[in-house]
Amino acid sequence: MSECKMLKQTFHTAVGFAAGLAFVVAAAPARAQTPAAPAANEGIPVQSDLVKAKCGSCHRSDDKGRMSRISYRRATPENWERTIKRMVTLNHATLEPADARNILKYLADHQGLAPEEDRPITFDAERRTIEYSYTADKDTSDTCSSCHSFARVLSERRTKEEWELLVAMHRGYYPLVDNQPMNGGQGFRRTRPMQTEPDADGRPPDNRHPMEKALEHLSKTLPLTTPEWSAWSASMQAPKLAGRWAIVGAQAGKGPIYGSVTVTADASAPDSFTTETKYTVARTGETVTRTSKALVYTGYQWRGRGTAGPGGPGGPGGNVTWREVMFVERDWTQMWGRWFTGAYDETGIDVKLTRVSTGTVVLGTSVASLKTGATGQAMRIFGANLPASPQPGDIGLGAGVTVSRVVSARPDEIAVDVNVASSAPIGPRDVSVGGSVKAAALVVYDKIDGLKVLPQAGMARVGGAVFPKQLQQFEVVAMNNGPDGKPDTADDLNLGIVTAKWSLEEYTATFGDDDIQFVGTLDANGLFTPSLDGPNPKRSGNRNNVGDVWVVAELASPDARQADRPLRARAQLLVTVPLYMAWFEDGSGK
Amino acid sequence: MNHLKPINKKAARIERATLREPQGRPEQGRGTTEDDVVALQRTGLPQAPHFPVGCSLVFSPGWEADRTGGTAGLCQPVERDLFDCHIGCYWPAQVPDQLNHAPDWTAKCAAAQKDWRKIDLIFP
Repeated sequence: MSECKMLKQTFHTAVGFAAGLAFVVAAAPARAQTPAAPAANEGIPVQSDLVKAKCGSCHRSDDKGRMSRISYRRATPENWERTIKRMVTLNHATLEPADARNILKYLADHQGLAPEEDRPITFDAERRTIEYSYTADKDTSDTCSSCHSFARVLSERRTKEEWELLVAMHRGYYPLVDNQPMNGGQGFRRTRPMQTEPDADGRPPDNRHPMEKALEHLSKTLPLTTPEWSAWSASMQAPKLAGRWAIVGAQAGKGPIYGSVTVTADASAPDSFTTETKYTVARTGETVTRTSKALVYTGYQWRGRGTAGPGGPGGPGGNVTWREVMFVERDWTQMWGRWFTGAYDETGIDVKLTRVSTGTVVLGTSVASLKTGATGQAMRIFGANLPASPQPGDIGLGAGVTVSRVVSARPDEIAVDVNVASSAPIGPRDVSVGGSVKAAALVVYDKIDGLKVLPQAGMARVGGAVFPKQLQQFEVVAMNNGPDGKPDTADDLNLGIVTAKWSLEEYTATFGDDDIQFVGTLDANGLFTPSLDGPNPKRSGNRNNVGDVWVVAELASPDARQADRPLRARAQLLVTVPLYMAWFEDGSGK
Repeated sequence: MNHLKPINKKAARIERATLREPQGRPEQGRGTTEDDVVALQRTGLPQAPHFPVGCSLVFSPGWEADRTGGTAGLCQPVERDLFDCHIGCYWPAQVPDQLNHAPDWTAKCAAAQKDWRKIDLIFP
């Protein structure tokens, strides 16, 4: 921030002007809005009496039942929710919580996004830490994603007039965006000198404001009416998801999970369900049970809230609320997404649910890898409808790997001992039981060549005194160089999570760097917990407990001759400042 | 650097630091930790790794990370600048803005650096 200080001083002179604009914005809702003048056939009529009653005093209907602003926009449930909240907090709408929920459901169902439109941006609702670059138009990307994820833009479809009003809303609420030095040093308006020379291709210079270029792009690329929505809104049905589902998931630091989910339709409300989940953490054998309630928006967007039973994830007692965000595939046989918790939604499980009928399904194994030459290696195979008394020959593990003994068998789990020939070729192996195959369920390897810490770049936020902490879970996996014997190539084999020794090391960003003493602690399972928020008088300049460190994992060398040279890998961790606005939470969990 | 000779102590330290650039990939842990002084000496936009959490990391510099991808260049402590951001609506996605969402955010606390425990998390 310090680098921007001078620029900020300049902008403060604009605050008086900004306050004037704010008055205009605040006064606007008091007047009824006249319907915009859209293209003749555009606009989605609102058929909900509740929406008309609660929103109609400002948003007037025209003779076709189209309400101003509302009818000219489609959005994801999350974006509709943010709008409804804003109407309450800033525009003086009064809504009972039940009414707000019903309005949200109606709008998301009748003016939502088609599955094809939502699929590229599911990471946003799933609250994933990924980097997303919008490459279709740089001006639009710079204008919007300087403040928020571009997925929030891609969560909208609007008429041209509505996109213009959206830009106007941003300029009204946040007057500085006009001149704020965002990407490339420009804000919504052009702050660079006018170009007079033609560009390299001989075209005349484009001296429009960035927001004008963005508006042209958005109106063209994300219009209200699309073939995808026309098709989906006609074919959408109330999802029938009740039944048994197999769940496969992965939790950072814990590895794969396998289990089952029973989904029951909740008769009290349409498109709502209750679930009971039981899964096993493959690596440790820990069993977790959970229950949840969920609502499906727009026929395919599963939004749930649940708690784990005692001993479950989320800490001692386990009764921590987890949210569920899943995408229901059109054939109703698969749903996938993320279940998550944490003050910043940072703790989560990537999940995939597959509907189970009467056939055998193999989900995975308790071990991620088998070493050549191993004998009597214990392993469990997870699945559904597994055979009651399988013989060793019924279980296929590929060349050089044989089942020596079936220890026990249940419909959801078979315990076996396996032998791996010394000459078994290394590489991924399919696991088959009773006519069902799980492709690449595990790998066969000869030696550990290296380690890899994941994620390669992590982030935590200080907290605990006033604001919540953001934790960061790391995991370390063993790697084999694969058949080509070279590291960092496509055929490298991931051997799964290993138990390693964790430590923090200084990431020397400045001379005399002392971050490691202050940022926080890393436990034996790779979970980083940051230190307290607030200025720290013990640090130079009262710095917060922020900093950059290396997270290092060490494993004793498998080669006894190199006992003094352990395998080692590291990842970067950024421990940074809190957020003081919680756009994604309602505060109920804090 | 071959044609330049340090003429003061600071220049000598910089030369020592740059001559000891670590060999090998950082994720393999090669090179000693004293070697790779990486922040504040680079220019241009941040290179990978990136930290894309939250609403924005691409402001100049970011809220979570500075332009080098680290924390060394952030305004510190954050409380020193917090009210400035609030009043100027400078970080509207990260800090409550005084125009609309939280006009009274600073009411209980005249100086964030002193009374930072009294400011609230805002749910817009």
